[in-house]
Amino acid sequence: MQETLVRPLSTDGASLLQIPLWRVRLKLFLRSIKTNLCLFSENPIGLVGVVLIIFFFLFMSAHPILMKFVWDPTIYDPVMGFESAIAEHPSAPSPGHLLGTDPMGRDVLSQLMWSTRAAFVLGLIAASVTAIIATTVGAVTAYYGGLVDTIFMRLADIIIMTPGITILIVLATLVDLQMIHLAVVLGVLAGFGGTTVIIKSQALTIKVRTYIEAARIAGGSDWHIIFRHIIPNLLPLAFLYMMFGVTTAIFTESVLSFFGLLNIRMSWGLMIYQTSVSGYLMDMSKWWLIYPASLSITMLCAAFYLVGRAMDEIINPRLRKR
Amino acid sequence: MRRYLIQRIGQNLFTFFLFLTLVYLLLDAQPGDFGNIYLNDSRLTAEQRQVIREQLGLNRPVMERYLSWLGSLFQGDLGLSFSNSMRPVISIIAERAPRTIILFLSVTILANLLGFAMGKMLAWRRGGAVEYAATIAGVGLFTVFVPWFALMMIWLFAYKFNLFPLGKFIDPVLWREATVEANTIFLRMMLTGLLTAAAWISWLFATRRFNPGWRKAARWVGTLIILTLPITYWATNGLGRYAADILHHIALPVLTITIVNFAGTMLLTRSSMLETLREDYIMAARAKGLPEAMIRDKHAARNAMLPTVTSFILALAFVMNGGVITETIFSWPGMGLTLLKAAQTQDIPLVIGSLVFTGALALTAHLGADLLYAFLDPRIRVS
Amino acid sequence: MNNILLDVQDLTMHYSTRGGSVAAVEHVSFSLKKGESLGLVGESGCGKTSIATTLLRLLPDNAKILSGRILLDGADIVTLNNDEMRKVRWERISMVFQAAMNSLNPIHRVGDQIIEALEVHDSVKTNREAKDRVASFFRLVGLDPKLMERYPHEYSGGMRQRAVIAMALACHPDLIIADEPTTALDVIVQDNLLREMSALQKQLGMSMIYISHDIAVIAEVSDRIGVMYAGSLVELASAYEVFHHPRHPYTCGLMSAFPSIVGPKRPLVTLPGEPPNLVKPPSGCRFHPRCLYATDICSQKIPEFRDLGGGHYAACFHPVEVKNAVS
Repeated sequence: MQETLVRPLSTDGASLLQIPLWRVRLKLFLRSIKTNLCLFSENPIGLVGVVLIIFFFLFMSAHPILMKFVWDPTIYDPVMGFESAIAEHPSAPSPGHLLGTDPMGRDVLSQLMWSTRAAFVLGLIAASVTAIIATTVGAVTAYYGGLVDTIFMRLADIIIMTPGITILIVLATLVDLQMIHLAVVLGVLAGFGGTTVIIKSQALTIKVRTYIEAARIAGGSDWHIIFRHIIPNLLPLAFLYMMFGVTTAIFTESVLSFFGLLNIRMSWGLMIYQTSVSGYLMDMSKWWLIYPASLSITMLCAAFYLVGRAMDEIINPRLRKR
Repeated sequence: MRRYLIQRIGQNLFTFFLFLTLVYLLLDAQPGDFGNIYLNDSRLTAEQRQVIREQLGLNRPVMERYLSWLGSLFQGDLGLSFSNSMRPVISIIAERAPRTIILFLSVTILANLLGFAMGKMLAWRRGGAVEYAATIAGVGLFTVFVPWFALMMIWLFAYKFNLFPLGKFIDPVLWREATVEANTIFLRMMLTGLLTAAAWISWLFATRRFNPGWRKAARWVGTLIILTLPITYWATNGLGRYAADILHHIALPVLTITIVNFAGTMLLTRSSMLETLREDYIMAARAKGLPEAMIRDKHAARNAMLPTVTSFILALAFVMNGGVITETIFSWPGMGLTLLKAAQTQDIPLVIGSLVFTGALALTAHLGADLLYAFLDPRIRVS
Repeated sequence: MNNILLDVQDLTMHYSTRGGSVAAVEHVSFSLKKGESLGLVGESGCGKTSIATTLLRLLPDNAKILSGRILLDGADIVTLNNDEMRKVRWERISMVFQAAMNSLNPIHRVGDQIIEALEVHDSVKTNREAKDRVASFFRLVGLDPKLMERYPHEYSGGMRQRAVIAMALACHPDLIIADEPTTALDVIVQDNLLREMSALQKQLGMSMIYISHDIAVIAEVSDRIGVMYAGSLVELASAYEVFHHPRHPYTCGLMSAFPSIVGPKRPLVTLPGEPPNLVKPPSGCRFHPRCLYATDICSQKIPEFRDLGGGHYAACFHPVEVKNAVS
């Protein structure tokens, strides 16, 4: 008869107090992750993205194994290798070289695999830098307002106003840019730019919630409130924009490498650059020089973007389909 | 509204100034300075170098140089381009800027129209295979590696089907007997285009107050008349085939980049529509018995349009980004290609000039977006 | 017989959600005469707004009418297709939404939004005629016709509510459903508006269904009152009867009085518990977990909604017999 009434977790108040706080927090956290995963997996778009990412991850992990056990480094090294058994390079796909060789005699498949790692590392570093900067700056400016707010918002305005690739091209020709520099620069630019504005708006909506006032009345210091209350609520959004950050980072690096402006060992963009420098860019008979690399760029960028979109539908409940 | 606009104009101008300063300082902070290229002639003795440096003013403090540069900038003097035989930077920009602008204006307009229409329809029917397929296809196009895609398009249409030329701006053979410069024709085309667009928009506005029965007919008739005007003009002034040639060359780049770009607008419109559809006035519109198409277009889309329109105007700010890639592959002689080449040859004045141009575009774009938003959203317009 | 405008028979509507199927409207039956006003009252989530949206067939994709008929002047509108339903909407039945400010599109002028309804339903031929019609409605609800050219955000809350009422009147409907028409307004405006709405209704001879959780509001303006609980109609009678002689235990609880009944004395109590989960509702009578008069049969069978005498309907196995009047 009473089955519809809500049953509390425990009817005895005292026993409730005996569960340590961290345990309760952990339980709630895990439960929210489970709900979100359920929501996420309902959306085929996100799943397609995740599958692609996993595929590339495995692809990337296979390389060191292959290099150690199956392949001979002198032939298969992505940068220094050389296939002397074949007379003319670039050569078409063959049993020993599943994707053929490039104009300098190096195995294309090996290059592709190695570049996957470059892409992942670049993307994740850039995205993490962006997330850290954007979250902190967003939370602080939302909380303090005033002069701090104005300065950072002007800065964000300038960055938004400036087309990134253009600036990076100029930068790259004046300064010797390596992968890690590029990752950090990309991360910083995105971190202080558009992402901050979005995270700041979110932080503003959090700031006016009653539990913040409660925390302040309870005597919480500014930093405590920012780090314990505001920032944890910003993390889902920050994580979401990390996905888009990876997409942008990989795309930008590819374009810059394609123009030959970067100083890196090997990446997909660089592969295409070398094809163009050797004059094979428009030569469709040598498709393995361009297609695999281009498709990889497209697919990995798309994968992260799809995941980002699927997350968007969860985090932004207004888009949810009931 | 006036106060809002003045505030936004002020903010944007301020940002533009900061941008200029940063650009200058960034380039000035490079080891060595622009004099080096010029002075790298090994036949000069150390004293001669010193004298030349003094003449060029390269040994003055940064602040002085910055201010004098700003001063010249406002008089329209952006310096001389080293890599183009000392041609004034401003004339190079004046020559190449319209080409980039036209290319990207066409692309942006087409991409936005197409993306908006498709996004609107996509949001209207939720769920189902169509939505997922369209989203994945859209994302795929959005993130495709543009150089590769452009190459594919060139190979397919220009090489295999021979429908379009391989690149560049004009066909040298055809133009050998031309009496007018390519640029003049180009500018005239721009002008015709702008006037036609303005006329058409005014006509749409004027017919708003017509009686319901007449409205549709009047609009169609008016549109037809307005479209025939520029076509007649170009067909009869003897320069028609040159204009046609330029159009022929611009077609493939526009097609390619439109395909890549429309996906972004489509996805944005869809999200925006989905949010709008949650609003109560949509349910109210349905309760009123309005037909589905009217609810979708007049109520939902009109509201959802605001972010799309803003992104359309803001796309102008990022013209250079896409410009560099597109213009390189299609050998379209615009500002993007200019910037790239200038950066590669370390022609600093031209680089700075191009960046100033970029900043100016961005400034215009942001101002335009603010204006348009204020105009479209009555909550700001009438307050 | 021809006096009956609306006859709802055994209407059932469910939503399907991730958590299960929500029984939002369960076997609801009532009828409405021409020119009569009916008030639907109940707690949040009891299904009153769901009935309104079902009557206009404004249901979202995950909602389905499982059974029942809605007879409007004898014709069942549940079976109509979309185009036919569009003719019914606004011309026969219109609605004044909850929180009216949100039912006006912020980027169109208020006058234009009413004119659009007129044009779609072919009520006017020229712009002039449309404007005149809107002006007359504005005057009717107490708004200055010049306000037609303004945008919604330029109106105050009370003005917006009036504008929405004018919009609902535009096509001379037979029935207007007013969903919480005054909830978002302050008390003084509320009072005025209710009185004006009631006067308008009498003047134009329309039927009205008022939906509210506030019994005082309902009592002011309704000829008859229907009490809803957990998706079902538990009591339906004239306003006087519901107030002075409530028969269903829930209604009694609502009237905050518990008269003495035949049987052992019980102390005055408030309603314990909370409204039930509509996904897994209680077995039998939905109110039985909270009802102090519940017996075994109440948890086994759903009580029939029947006439207890004189047009006073209730769905209860143990309807309350009232001896003394409650003010």
